[in-house]
Formats: sequence, C-alpha cells, structure tokens
Amino acid sequence: MSGIARKIIRYFASFVLITIINFTLPRLMPGDPVKNLIGEDVYVSEYVMEELRTELGLNRPLHEQFTAFLSDLLHLDMGYSYHLHAPVAEILLDRMGWTLLFVGVSVFIGALLGSLLGALAGWKPERKMSRFAGFAFVVCSCTPPYFLALLSLYLFSFKLGLFPSKGFYDAPEIGSVLHHLFLPVCVMSVFSASRNFLVMRGSVIQEKTQLYSLYARAKGLHDTGILFRHIIKNASLPVITLLALDFGFLFSGALFIEIIFSLNGMGTLIYDAIMGKDYPLLQGAFLVIALTVLFANMLADLLYALIDPRVRRPA
Amino acid sequence: MKEACAERGPEKQLIQLETPGLSLPRERSFRSFQKQENFLGKFNQGGILLLAFFLFMALFPSLLAPYAPDERFIPYEAPSREHILGTNDIGNDILSELVYGARISMTVGFAAALISTLIGTILGLCAGYFRGALDELLMGFTDVVLIIPKIPLIIVLGAFLRPSIWVLIPVLGFMSWESTARVTRSKTLQLREAGYVKSALCMGFSPSHIMVSDIFPNIVHILLPKFMLATASAMISEASLSFLGLSDISMKSWGSMLSFAFFRGGFIREMWWWYLPPGICITLCVMAIALIGFGLETKGEKYAGEGADKA
Repeated sequence: MSGIARKIIRYFASFVLITIINFTLPRLMPGDPVKNLIGEDVYVSEYVMEELRTELGLNRPLHEQFTAFLSDLLHLDMGYSYHLHAPVAEILLDRMGWTLLFVGVSVFIGALLGSLLGALAGWKPERKMSRFAGFAFVVCSCTPPYFLALLSLYLFSFKLGLFPSKGFYDAPEIGSVLHHLFLPVCVMSVFSASRNFLVMRGSVIQEKTQLYSLYARAKGLHDTGILFRHIIKNASLPVITLLALDFGFLFSGALFIEIIFSLNGMGTLIYDAIMGKDYPLLQGAFLVIALTVLFANMLADLLYALIDPRVRRPA
Repeated sequence: MKEACAERGPEKQLIQLETPGLSLPRERSFRSFQKQENFLGKFNQGGILLLAFFLFMALFPSLLAPYAPDERFIPYEAPSREHILGTNDIGNDILSELVYGARISMTVGFAAALISTLIGTILGLCAGYFRGALDELLMGFTDVVLIIPKIPLIIVLGAFLRPSIWVLIPVLGFMSWESTARVTRSKTLQLREAGYVKSALCMGFSPSHIMVSDIFPNIVHILLPKFMLATASAMISEASLSFLGLSDISMKSWGSMLSFAFFRGGFIREMWWWYLPPGICITLCVMAIALIGFGLETKGEKYAGEGADKA
C-alpha cells in the first residue's frame, strides 16, 4: 500500500532531519565548536581544549564526524555533560520517566474530558452551558500555560495550603506522589482538554449534518444513542490527529509547568542546562524529545489508519 | 487545536461535495473577491474592540502610561495613587512597563506571523499549482518539519545564539507555516481548474503572473484567519520563551515581565499587581486575535469561492 510506504518514508526523513539538525547545530553555531560541544561554563586550559578537540573528532572531515556521531547514537552515547559530571544518556533516562508519566496521564485525562465535553457541547450548541464551557475553554487555551500554572500554584499551594508546592514526592509511596502530582496534572489536563474540546465540538457539529445521523433519528433513536453510538466514532478522528500533535505540544508545555512546580523532571533539567549553557545535555534532550514526539505521531497515524478505512485507499 | 480543525475542514468539504447533501446549490457560482457582509458577529465585535484597544496601547503608549518605562522609583511598592500598579524590583512603574510591553509582544507576534504566512503561502501556491514531483517534495518537506517539536528546538537555538529580537522573529516564523501551506495548497488545487485560470493559461500568461493575479486574491480570505491565528500562537510562544529568559532582555515584553515577577521574588511577596496584569493582557490580546481569526474563518467558509470549479 503506497499510502503506508509514503508515511514510513516521511517519518524516516523526519528522523534523518532531526539527527542532522542535532549534528550540525553545535558545529554551525557562532563560537568555538569545542565550547559548543562541552558547554560554556566549563573552564579548561588550552592544552585540555586541544585534547578535547581531537577526542571529539573535530579535526576530522565532516562525513567522518557524522558517521562517528551516528555510531555513538546507536550505542546510546549522547555525549558527556561536563556540568553535571555524568553521561547525558544516564541523566536523561533518569528524569524522563517522571516527565513521561506526568505528560502521559495529562494527555489521557485531557483527551477524555475534552472529547466528552466537546461532544456534548457540539450536540446542543445553543444551550447556555455549551456556550459557557466553550468560552471558558477558549480562554484557557489562549492563556500561556505557565500563567495558569502560576495562578493555581499561588491559589492552591500558597494561599490555601492544600497541595505541596514542590517535588515529586515526600516519601516514595504512591499517596505522596499522587498528592504532589495532582495540581500539575490538573493544569496540563485543562490545557489538553481545551484543545480537544474545541476540535471535538467542531467535528460533532459537522457530523450532525451528515445523512447517517438523520437516518438514525428517522429510525427513532434517542439523542444520547445517536451521539454516543454513531457520531462519536466518526467525530473522534480529528481528535486522534490532535492527540499526536498534542503530544509534542504538551511536552513543551510540561517543561514550563515542571519549572514552576519545581518537579525534578526534564523541564527543570533543560532549564538548568540553559542557564548553565550545558550544550550536550540540551542536544541530547532535544533529540530524545523529538524522537518521542516522532514515535507518538507514528502511533497516532497507525491508529488513524486502523480506524478510518478511507485513509487506507491510495489518494 | 485550530490547526487540526482547519486542516480537516477543507478536506472534509471536498468529501462532502461528492456526496449530495441536503443543502441547496449556491447562487453565487463565480466570484473573484467579495467583501464579507455581516462578519461583525457578537464575538467578532468584542474581539475587534479589544484588539483596537491593544493596538492603541502599542501605537500611542505615551498617552496611556504615566511615566517612562525605565524611570526608577522606590522598588517593590504596592499600588498607590502615583503608581497604580506599583513598582517592580528595580523600581520601574509597572503600569508603564505594561503599556510599553504591548509594543514588543505585538510586534513579535505580527512579524513572526507575517513570515510564517508568507512562507506557507508561497510553498502552498507552488505545490498546488505545479503539482507532480514538486508537490510531493514540498508536502513531504512540510510533513517532515511538522513533526519536529518547535519549542524545544527554539529553546536549544536560543541557548546557543545570543537572544535578540532579530533571531526570535525568524525562528518563531518558521514554526507555524505548515497548516497555512496545506490549506493554500488544497485551495490552489481547487482554483487552478477554474475557467479563468485556464483561459489565462491559453492567453500565454506566465505561471507566476497567474498565481499572483488570479489565484492569490481568491485565497486571501483564507489567509487572513490563518495569519491571525499564527499571530496568536506566536504571541504565546514568545511569552513562553521570554519566561525562560530566551528573548531579548533589552526589550521588555509581557512575557519578560512575568518572568521577572516569578524569578525576582514578586510571587513570594504576593505582589499580585506585578504578575497578574501582564498575564491577563497576554490572555486578552491572544483571545481577541484568536476570536477574530475564528470568526473570519467560519464566516469565510460560508462565502468561499467554491464555485470556481463550477465555472
């Protein structure tokens, strides 16, 4: 099927592009590539710089460097962070689990909530509740994500003292983790939900005008029956596309929320790396994030092709 | 949200045209460019008013701001008669900062959206008009770039390069051209089958002339909402980047104000007058732009020049 082959080629091309960007970035940027590869705040003498230059292979021609880079990548060696004195891969793997947990749960809850509310609002768009919900969600999606996080942190943690204000857990048990993660997950879910709500609502409004819903009504099916048995399945197609796009968007949003809530995930890691100009860590983090998003997109595409047979036909 | 919705929109319309629906055929079947009547719905009116207010704030800041934004007074002051919103940590009047910050935020937003719309239009026009291999190549390129997460890329770039506004605007501009390109391409594919395009071809006009004077005016009504929505998303991205300290430090946008409020102790000292106003301003401005964009988009779909292929 040429459709799937085309998609696979596109994903592979994205992967190649990402690796190329990752490779050329430190070498193209202004300044000494050695500094770009080891980070700015590291003080080394001239002699050590020369050593590092040969070790990092900057004396060799570009294609050799690229093959070395690729082979390192396949061995899961993303360089060494001189700032934190550990190989980048280790640091990233450590922190990534938490971020994935937090982002995954938020995406899931947000998608469920948003789709449900969006379907209901799309079904009866004239009602006051639908309009109000629509307005509220529009406002939520226009706010910068960290602003909402700031406000909720202020209200619920500082003022009301209901939730702890930092960290992933006080004691490594599940109750504490839930307590700490509740607020960040809430904020992220509201974001994800607002995007899903708007898309689902538009989709349901479009699907309502189709002939099959008219036929279901003519058969005598009641309101919720039409909505939940027929329309939702067709209307959820854009939501799946959105889920894929959302994953990348939410990853970026999660960075800010982690900084605000002082959670020890990739967000704070990246922020410290920016402040300390720790370039190898930044590049490794970018690569990991890009690959995760690529993977999520692939999954969503596959899911979409499974659900909607129209896509499988060559265009 | 907006991109996915609009993305499915035109393709869904194409599918719907094949299955006969219950809607009556439209009388207007041939138009080049027509002014939209009646697009001042309720939301649109509010949006336009808000946007006008913010534009006024950006263009004539000295009329609204009591002081210059870099004049120093006593820092960390609470709101009072002389300083309606108090002062920040180095003593600047917050209200003046807010008013002058409108300029920067909106400039970055509009400029980045301009670049993104331009790139998207050119790529979409070329891909839709020439078709074939060029189309495949460009759409493949678009898909490939679509997947790369932009904000981490901008963060990495921002950490490498010296953060300045002339770096920020192009980089933000490269972020959101994909959906514009897609929509332009699908509209161009529709329009190039129209009679007037074919007759222009017969008369020997060059492709660039046809694209500019025949096809382009008919897609302006799609580009306008895309431009608006791109502005909204660029403003939010700029706010996010300023929060991390990656935008120009010499120019204080609303995002930078928020960043300073958070990192310089305004938050812990419960100075809501410092961090609430910029956040609210960002939200209102983005909302105004997004509402206008949405309004134009939904009204535009109704009066769109679909009849071009019936000619």
